[in-house]
Amino acid sequence: MSGRHATPEALLSHAAAALERAKAAGAHVADACVESSRAFTVQVHGGRIETLKQSGTLGLGLRVIVDGAVGFCSGTDLSPAGLDDLAKRAVALARFSTSDEDNGSPTPAEAGTYAGADLQLFDPAALELPVERKIDLALELERIALGADPRVTRTDGALVSSSGGAFAIANSHGVARAWEGTSVSAWVVALADDSGGRQQTGVYGMTKRHLADVASMESIAREAARRAVSRVGARSVPPARVPVVMSPDIAASWIGEMYEAFTGEAVIKKSSWLTEKLGTAIASPLFSLVDDGAMVRGLGSSPYDGEGVATRRNRLVDRGTCASFAYDHYHARRAKTALTGNGIRGFGSTPGIGYHNLYVPAGETPPEAILKSVDRGFYFDDQGSFGFNPVTGDYSYQAQGFWIEKGELAYPVDGVTVAGQSLEMLKHVAAVGNDLEFRTSTACPTLLISEMTVSGNG
Amino acid sequence: MSGTSELPDLSRLVPRDLVAELLAIARSGGAEFADVFAEHTVLTGLSFDEGRVKTASYSVLGGIGVRAVIGEQTGYAYADGFTAEDAREAARVASRISREGRGAEPRAFRVVDAKAPFTLSAPATLVLDEPKRVDLLRRADAAARGHDGRVREVSASMATSAKRFLIANSDGVWAEDTTHLSRLVVSALALEGNERQEGFAAAGGCVEAGYYTSERTPESIALEAASGAVLLLSAREPEAGSYPVVVCNGWGGVMVHECFGHSMEGDTIRKKSSIRATQMGQQVAAKGVTIVDSGLIPFSRGSFRVDDEGTPAQRTVLVEDGVLVGYLWDRLNGALTGNASTGNGRRASYRDYPLCRMTNTYIEPGPHAPDELIASVERGLFCKKLGGGSVNPADGNFSFQVTEAWQIEDGRLTHPVRNATLAGNGNDAMLKIDAVGSDLRIDGTTGSCGKDGQWKPVGVGQPTVRFTGITVGGTAV
Repeated sequence: MSGRHATPEALLSHAAAALERAKAAGAHVADACVESSRAFTVQVHGGRIETLKQSGTLGLGLRVIVDGAVGFCSGTDLSPAGLDDLAKRAVALARFSTSDEDNGSPTPAEAGTYAGADLQLFDPAALELPVERKIDLALELERIALGADPRVTRTDGALVSSSGGAFAIANSHGVARAWEGTSVSAWVVALADDSGGRQQTGVYGMTKRHLADVASMESIAREAARRAVSRVGARSVPPARVPVVMSPDIAASWIGEMYEAFTGEAVIKKSSWLTEKLGTAIASPLFSLVDDGAMVRGLGSSPYDGEGVATRRNRLVDRGTCASFAYDHYHARRAKTALTGNGIRGFGSTPGIGYHNLYVPAGETPPEAILKSVDRGFYFDDQGSFGFNPVTGDYSYQAQGFWIEKGELAYPVDGVTVAGQSLEMLKHVAAVGNDLEFRTSTACPTLLISEMTVSGNG
Repeated sequence: MSGTSELPDLSRLVPRDLVAELLAIARSGGAEFADVFAEHTVLTGLSFDEGRVKTASYSVLGGIGVRAVIGEQTGYAYADGFTAEDAREAARVASRISREGRGAEPRAFRVVDAKAPFTLSAPATLVLDEPKRVDLLRRADAAARGHDGRVREVSASMATSAKRFLIANSDGVWAEDTTHLSRLVVSALALEGNERQEGFAAAGGCVEAGYYTSERTPESIALEAASGAVLLLSAREPEAGSYPVVVCNGWGGVMVHECFGHSMEGDTIRKKSSIRATQMGQQVAAKGVTIVDSGLIPFSRGSFRVDDEGTPAQRTVLVEDGVLVGYLWDRLNGALTGNASTGNGRRASYRDYPLCRMTNTYIEPGPHAPDELIASVERGLFCKKLGGGSVNPADGNFSFQVTEAWQIEDGRLTHPVRNATLAGNGNDAMLKIDAVGSDLRIDGTTGSCGKDGQWKPVGVGQPTVRFTGITVGGTAV
């Protein structure tokens, strides 16, 4: 419990023990995924500690294939008796699944060996950041946000956390891979007073693999305060079809939502709006989309995916052309295509298709020049949580931002929605900013979409 | 061996003397209050996809969490599994929230003897074994595919969660309980030419096995998903603008949950980050609107005998005829403001400390026949199925995805509408209600609420309700 997460070697030996028991219980093929993590989170509010929380997880997931059918069990009891129970249950459960010749686990030859750059996922300084230091950093974040502007009289708290974790994946074909990594987060929510008892929110922060890559508390706090204060006096606008400038946060959220359409599973089931679009022009030539599992210090990077397949850099959209789809082992077999290293899983679930670090490569236009190019339109920089249809690509979000007049931010706006259809939006990408910055595992520069519908009651 | 959920006796895994020791360790740094939460949960899943059973799964989650509290400060740590030494270490970490001096002497445990709001004699989690579940899923698949030739793909899945938990604290509270949740979810994909639409339906709750053969059969769930998908093929895009909106009963209550309920949770009231903190006794909703949170609704996911702090579930009136009359409290935020807990201290699992949050939140019925609400609208939108919704409690901005809507013209529903999003500000949303129907329904089947990274089952409800004007997002101007 105390101290740090388990070593990759220790996890591999748990995995080997589970595979042995699976075989003894009657599994023809098996894979075991083991995770260990330790995280410590500090939250402060009103100049005082609000919570100190330590999380410590150790769990194992066992997938077995018996006569082509899948059974899956997971648990946190890794004792010999616990693993015996998991193995027997998994084999028993496989009886209820349907046999499918494409079920399987990659062989060492299919999985490959990661031969790229040192990913630098692990930072001892992040792991060893003392609790007292985290408390000081969180208090500093909140104090600077409160001092940044007289209208910021409260915060909704500041958070600093650090974690370390190890992951192992091994299968009965002889694949055995393990690695470890760290992360550090710093976030703060500034609240600014508005008229009539209202208040405006400004959220900012980031999560990084290395402590040294986290921006200064000063710059994070000031950005949160700036966001809150900039919204003071926001009002709605009447409905209009106008150009929309998506801030990097909004654009990153859109590409994250679009990703499902690029998964082999959705394409095979025809539940993707990109089904049958491979090799065709789906976007403006200015737009490319990349998923890179092998990005140095990337938050979503790892040398192997959740099935032990070596990761790589995949180009999903290449200068407007739909260039590739993403697969786990099962769906790659179904589609009779090469593995892409996108089998993502935690110990509690079977693999699914997911991205590592998803981003739009930077363009050449400075964001200020994008704004200047818009005579009348909407600068979109905050949104609600639901508004994307993964089957159709239809996009309709509650939005906050600014009205643009003659290339300038004229006044803050809220109480509106922004709507469009992803294929049309992709084709209407009229400018890509040069301001790509990774704060989580999705990132996008500022985008200009030449026409979308803004709805409001102004 | 099957996947039905066998649960161990927690008080054997976590004996009273160990709990007392953990509470003492947690308070050794001077904490005023401590609690211990132990849990053993069995999750099962079956997915039926593309005409076959893809995966059968079984997962166990178990462990002990220890909390220490001083004033508004909380220390929390947990350990997976039930090893005494790991639990002691968790208690030591929690105790790091500390100060000079000591809290009051711990009290002897007394068992909370609250009556259960309802009991299950044959919960689906225990009675439905894999062959029975596979049969339900096959029936759903066949019914969805048989509904219409345009339905090309069907996914059906069944998930169950059986949870036994034990909560004890330094005030002497000792409570144990078991909850049984299950759900059956169907999604259907309809294709026609270049059009592609998905329909979705789900049913479940804290229900008996018989629920799936009498109340919500797999066929009825499948039909709802399949007909929804087919209907959307011919639906039009919504008109952008602000106009009257009528929201369906049942799940439509997600609006009162997001737009209003979150701003009534005790943490935001104590910290004054909610606009409601200063509105006690004021009119916050239209006259005729009464809003309630109750953990006592039979068979709902949001109901329980005791909350995750051991406080018995209760019914709390938040708004009476438009006037704010009560807030929701957990133990910590209640104690800091001089209020008793209202049974709203809830945590996602032993890995989390409790947060103040809703149970089943709903608007009480009004005088109008539901048809009247539509008949008197000249031009507006009827929201028949809502998807997800969200709110930022600090600034009040809310948003809802409407998965199936109908255009209202001259008091009649004229054509289906897809991809509508409702947006506005929760500060005044409840004041915009101008008619409340008589058809209250509380939907406790499948909802989950996310707060600070913790997901927790909830119920929502309302009769058919009309709003005078809400911003509707769409592509048509």
